[in-house]
Amino acid sequence: MKKFSIYTAALFILPFVQHFAISKLLLMHTSPDLLAIFIAFISMSVGQRTGTSFGFAAGLISGFLSGNPGLGSLIGSSQGLLAGLFHVPEEKHATSVKKKRMFYGASLTSVITGKTLLSLFSDPLSLPIYVRLPEAIILGSLMSMLLSVIIWHVGLKKMVKD
Amino acid sequence: MSSFFRFIAKHTAYLYFLLYCCISILLMQLQRKETLDAIHERGLAINASLADRLSEVSAVFSLKRDNELLFLQNARLFSRLLYQEDAIHDARALNTIIGNKPVWVDQFRVARVVDRRFSETDNMLIINIGRQQGVIRNMTVLTPDGLVGRVIDVSANYAKVLPVINRNFMVSVVSDSTRTTGLLSWQNGDERIAHMGHVPLSSRLLVGEQLITSDYSTFATRGIPVGQIIRISKDKLFYKIDVRLAVDFSTLSHVLVSPATPPREKVELMTSPDIPEKGR
Repeated sequence: MKKFSIYTAALFILPFVQHFAISKLLLMHTSPDLLAIFIAFISMSVGQRTGTSFGFAAGLISGFLSGNPGLGSLIGSSQGLLAGLFHVPEEKHATSVKKKRMFYGASLTSVITGKTLLSLFSDPLSLPIYVRLPEAIILGSLMSMLLSVIIWHVGLKKMVKD
Repeated sequence: MSSFFRFIAKHTAYLYFLLYCCISILLMQLQRKETLDAIHERGLAINASLADRLSEVSAVFSLKRDNELLFLQNARLFSRLLYQEDAIHDARALNTIIGNKPVWVDQFRVARVVDRRFSETDNMLIINIGRQQGVIRNMTVLTPDGLVGRVIDVSANYAKVLPVINRNFMVSVVSDSTRTTGLLSWQNGDERIAHMGHVPLSSRLLVGEQLITSDYSTFATRGIPVGQIIRISKDKLFYKIDVRLAVDFSTLSHVLVSPATPPREKVELMTSPDIPEKGR
């Protein structure tokens, strides 16, 4: 219950953090995706269904902030669904290493999914698809994975152990 | 069937995803301007249609009031129409009068009453213009209020006027509403009250009617105000009618002398003998 409260609070805070802070860390039109990491973590630790729902909600809030709630919620749901494939049920008593791997896998999947869909459906800079898609996927994935490693070691590792 | 439910239970995440996809696509559609415009347009059409139906229903209840308002409006418009038709008619009549105005118009002469003889029976006036100023016998003397009398004698610079308030004065008059004709004369007594005679009982004369000179007069042109009927009583064959004269002779100081006289030919015919010559 306590965890769910924290997840729900994060659900309402992180879209704002992403929109007003993380999205400013641009490198060749691409920035790390904190929301994708959050959705991946939820899907991995809680389950695919919850991850999809959280993804939808987080994407919707983020979409409202960016002015495209439809696309935001679609990307969030997709991220939650696909990241849910890396779900580690609690009854399986998986090791910390396995959980870490699954988290990274879920994060990478979630980030690639998000960046791909965003590049396909949104083109604010009018870049050609063969430029923006690799840029978003490669650079976005690298930056987001770097962020996910930092986040894992800073706080998520301990949360997963608990 | 149970396997289907088991499948559903196992893959609820996909159902959720499907639902979320639908919502997302709906949101994306809503975001498109043409979609919003179409919804707005449809909403407007529905709203207008509903309002139209509602107004039709409420119109049934307000029919009586609407009819009354329309009737009033109709009455207003009708009165305006009548007024405008009257105005047009008056304008035409005025144009006709102006176009056919006789030569004597604008040729009235102003005279001062220099002597007067007032008594209970015979009254007479002397005015300070005469033959040299173009005054001749039988000219009409009047004021803006009404008829004063007729010129009966003329000297070089003076003229004698037989006023309405003289027993020998008579003038043919006609009432302005019922167009009843009669003969106005004055007997002894009140200088403001004259009498109208020769009005048969079959006439429809009314108290309050104004009297003006008629076409039958041998000296005055028609239309000069004479007085107002104040009392009507029946005699054997004729009405006895009292008339308040238009002119106040007690304060009379200036008069107008009208050069207009009835056509001479008409007067000669009117004064010729009524008995045909014998042998013809």
